[in-house]
Amino acid sequence: MPTARSWTEGLLREQGRAVADVGTLLRFRAAHVRRPRAFRAGLVLFALATTATAVVPAHLPGAGGPGRAQDVLLLLPTALAGLVLIAVVSAVASGGGRELLARDPAAVHPISPTTDHLGALVLAPLNIAWLLQAWTLLGAASYGAGAGPLVALQTAMLLWLVLATAVGQVVAWGVEGVRRLRFGEVGVRLLTVAAVVVVLLLQLDDRLVPLLDQVPTVRVVAISVGGVTAAWWGVVGTLAGLSVAAVVLGALPAHLATRRVPHDELRVESESHRARPLPRSDLAVLLRTDRGSVWRAVPMRRGLAVLAIGPGVVALVGDLDWVQLTILPGLVASGGALLFGVNAWCLDGRGGLWRESLPVGAGTVFAARAWVLAEFLVAASLVTVALGGLRAGVPTATEATALLAMLAVVTVQVVGAAMRWSLAHPYAVDLRSARATPAPPLMMVGYSSRLALSTTMTGLVFSGLARLEAPGLPLLLAVPFLCWSGARLARAHERWTDPVQRARVVVTAAA
Amino acid sequence: MGEGERDRALVEVRDLHVRFGEVEAVGGVHLTAYAGRATALLGRNGAGKSTTMRVLAGVVPPTSGSVLVAGHDVRRHPMAAKRAVGYCPDVGGLVPRATPWEHLQLAARLRRLPTGWEPRARDLLERFELGDVAHRVTAGFSHGMGRRLSVVLAALHEPQVLLLDEPFDGVDPLGVEATLEVVADARSRGAAVLVSTHLRELAIEACSTVSVLRGGAQVAEMSALDMAGEEGARAYRSLLD
Repeated sequence: MPTARSWTEGLLREQGRAVADVGTLLRFRAAHVRRPRAFRAGLVLFALATTATAVVPAHLPGAGGPGRAQDVLLLLPTALAGLVLIAVVSAVASGGGRELLARDPAAVHPISPTTDHLGALVLAPLNIAWLLQAWTLLGAASYGAGAGPLVALQTAMLLWLVLATAVGQVVAWGVEGVRRLRFGEVGVRLLTVAAVVVVLLLQLDDRLVPLLDQVPTVRVVAISVGGVTAAWWGVVGTLAGLSVAAVVLGALPAHLATRRVPHDELRVESESHRARPLPRSDLAVLLRTDRGSVWRAVPMRRGLAVLAIGPGVVALVGDLDWVQLTILPGLVASGGALLFGVNAWCLDGRGGLWRESLPVGAGTVFAARAWVLAEFLVAASLVTVALGGLRAGVPTATEATALLAMLAVVTVQVVGAAMRWSLAHPYAVDLRSARATPAPPLMMVGYSSRLALSTTMTGLVFSGLARLEAPGLPLLLAVPFLCWSGARLARAHERWTDPVQRARVVVTAAA
Repeated sequence: MGEGERDRALVEVRDLHVRFGEVEAVGGVHLTAYAGRATALLGRNGAGKSTTMRVLAGVVPPTSGSVLVAGHDVRRHPMAAKRAVGYCPDVGGLVPRATPWEHLQLAARLRRLPTGWEPRARDLLERFELGDVAHRVTAGFSHGMGRRLSVVLAALHEPQVLLLDEPFDGVDPLGVEATLEVVADARSRGAAVLVSTHLRELAIEACSTVSVLRGGAQVAEMSALDMAGEEGARAYRSLLD
C-alpha cells in the first residue's frame, strides 16, 4: 500500500506553511515598529475612518434619494472598474507589490514565493492611492444607496476591494514574470503603449463610456442595491469565490517570476558609465553624484514613468481642462517624493559615512540633495501636464499663471516636507529593487496621507484661482505659500547643519 | 623625514566619550598617533574602535573629550580636520550607483586636488586591480572589491592621517598586499596611520604600535612586536576578557 504523501496534501501543507510564515513576518515587523503607541493609534484611526466612511454618508441629507445620490450610484460601476485598474498599475509598478521583509535580510530565511505573494497582498492596502480609492468607493456607495441596503452593498464593495487587489497582484506577478524573460522588458513596454493607444482611440471615438457601461460591475451594484436577496447571495458568493481563486492563483506567477532574474536590476547594477569632465564647483559635483543615485535606480525610473505618464494619460482620456489640470502637479509631486524623497539620505547607502568625511559644507550637501529631489518632482509634473494638456487647448493667462504658481508652490512644499522627514526618521534602505520603499509601509501611509492632504488643498486653492480673470492673483498668492514652505525647508537645512543631528542620520542610513 | 618630525603627534585623543542616547559607545579613550608610524586598534566587537575612527574622520562629533587631528580640533574646525584625513569606513563606504571613477572625481573636487591627480588615481586603481571596473557602478561589487576601493579613496589625496577601518575584511591576498603597501607609503611620507582590524597578524605586519580597546575604553598600548607569536596571542586574549 503506497504511503507517500499525495501532491495535493503536499500543496496544502505548503500553503498552510506560507500563511503561517506571513503571520510570523507580520509579528516581526510589528515588533520593530519604532513608536508602538503611534502604531496602535494609527490602526484604530484607520478602522474608525473606514467605518465612518462606509456608514456616515448614508445618513446625510439626500442620501439614497433621487438627484445627486442617484448620480453617484450611477458612477459606482465605473469606480469599481477604476479600482481594478489602480490595483493593477500599483502592483505592476512595484514589481509584484511590497515586501514584508526587504530582499537582503530575507535572503537568509526560507521565505517561499507564496509567502512573498501573500505578504504583498496584505501590504497592498497600505498605499494612499488604494486607500483613497477604497474610501471614495465606500463613501460613494453609502451616500448613493442610503441606509436601507447599506449592509448588502458595503459587503459587496468590500469583497470587490479584496477581489480587485488580488487580481492586481496576479496580473503584477504575471507581468513581472514576462518582464524577466529575454526581450520581456521590450514586450511589456510595447504592451503598455498599445493598451494606452487603444484606450485613447476608444475615447476619441466616444466608445469608451459605452464600453465601461458593459462591464459586469453594473450587475454587482444593481443587485446589491436591492438588499439581501437570493441574487445578492449569488453575487457575494461569486465575488468571494473569485477572490479566493485569485489569491491562490497569484502564487503560481509569483513562483514563476521568482525563478527568473530581474534583468533591469542586474543591468543597472553592472552598467558602465563613461568618464565625464570634472565639474567646476562643489555643488555641481554633488548634484552629479546625487542625480546618478536617483536616475540610475530601478524603482525611481519605473516609479517616475508610472507617476508622470499615468495621470497624464488619465487626464488626456478624461479630456480635463486647464483648471482641472492645475490639481495634478500636487498629486504627482506627492507620489514622486514617496519614491525616495521622504528618506532622501538613504540614497548614499553605506557610502554616506565616506561622503560625510569629505571636506564640504553641510549646507552645500543639503542644497544638492534638495535640488535633485525638486528637479525630479518638476520633471514628473511637467510630463503629466504636457500629456494632459494635449487636448486642453491653449490656456488663458490666468490658467497659465495658476499652473505655474501651483507647480512652484507644491514643489517647495513637498521638498520641504520630505527633507524634514528625512532628518527626523532616517532608515537604512537599499533602493535597488523595484519593490523597495524608502520607509516601512505604515510610515509610507502616514507620509502619503499628509502629502496628499496638503497638496490637494493647495491644488484646490490654485484651481479655484484659475477660474478667475486675474492672471496676477495666483502669482501673488503663491508668495505666502512659498515663504511658509521655504521657511520650513530652511529649518530642515538648519537642523542638517547640526553635526550631532547629521551624524545620527548618516550613521542610521549607513547601518 | 627627520627624527623630530617623526615624533610629531598627528592624532591626539584625550578622554574621548561618545554617547548615542543611553548607549556610551566610547567611554574614555586616550590615543596618540605619530607621524610616520602606524597604530593598530584592536579589540572585540563593540569595543569602540569604529566609533573612534568615525570621530577622527569628522563623521561623528565627540560628546566630550579633546580630539586633535593634524593639530585641528575636530569639534571646532571639522573642515580642516577632514581635509587632513583619508577615511576608509568599516561598512561599505561606497555610493551604490556611482562608479569608482566618479567617487574619485568627487573626492578630487571636494579636496581641491591640483590638476594631474588622475595618473595617481589610475595607478591606485591598477594596484588594487580595479582598473577594469573603474567605470562600472559599485552596486554590483563584491565585498572585497568594495573594501579595496574604499582604501583607494582614503589614500588618493595622500592624507596626513590615514584611517583604515577593517581594510582587510574579505579582501584577497593581492588586495591585502596592496593595502600593506599603501600603509607603508603613507608612513614613509610622514603620515600617521590608524588601522582598526580583528586580524591580529595583519595588524602586527602593518603597524608598529598596538592599542587595545575594551568596553569603549583603552586598556593597553604596546609595541606590535609584543603582540606577535603565541606569547602575543595569549597577551591579547588576556586583554579582551
